Amino acid sequence: MKDLLPLTPEQLARVRHRLLHPAPESRIEAARKYGIDLTLVAAQLSLSPADRVRTMHDACAAAEQARGAARRIAK
Amino acid sequence: MNFIALVQALVDSGVDFVIIGGWCAILHGSSYLTNDLDICYSRVPGNLKRLAAALAPCHPKLRDLPSGLPFVWDEVTLRNGSLFTLSTDLGILDLMAEVAGVGGFEEAKTHSIQVQAFGRTVWTLDLPSLIQAKRSAGREKDLRLLPELESLLDSQDRE
Repeated sequence: MKDLLPLTPEQLARVRHRLLHPAPESRIEAARKYGIDLTLVAAQLSLSPADRVRTMHDACAAAEQARGAARRIAK
Repeated sequence: MNFIALVQALVDSGVDFVIIGGWCAILHGSSYLTNDLDICYSRVPGNLKRLAAALAPCHPKLRDLPSGLPFVWDEVTLRNGSLFTLSTDLGILDLMAEVAGVGGFEEAKTHSIQVQAFGRTVWTLDLPSLIQAKRSAGREKDLRLLPELESLLDSQDRE
């Protein structure tokens, strides 16, 4: 059984380098050209899986509040 | 909306499930937001009973059911279907007995990993299986995640 663990500082450094300096013609470079902001991905990977969830959960809640406010203004 | 509380309710009730979809992608490092929780669940009778009991306090309703039509949330309802698109007091929840490109719950669990998140220990699809599932689902909203997910996979250390 494998666990999904936070990256160690050394792993994160390697991952960040691959994401932010992709090899030519790699899938990572293709993703950057497609429009993926790989700095956001690297930022997410610097967090533990639990913190990735917390951060995105907070963002979802904020987006939902903003949508609710926009609906109330429109009425 | 409180997906953390939703996951905790499922875990605390002993429901056997695997997190798939957007929250699985987030666990692996995706930067895409999602407004629903997708899970693959075991259809073993005891698990259906636990699943029905876990969600009952959240008042689940089928999202695609015309208003006014009766809907009973219980073990029998769960036994008679394999895909439920629900709205609950805690947020939008999709229950699937199968994952496209992966298989039923047992296959999904085999291709899953444990993770500490949502304040609990949960199971979620491994990254290669999530990519396979998204590719197999083939909808535009799934396919547009692939470049990011493949980048996440390729950025990892090879063991």
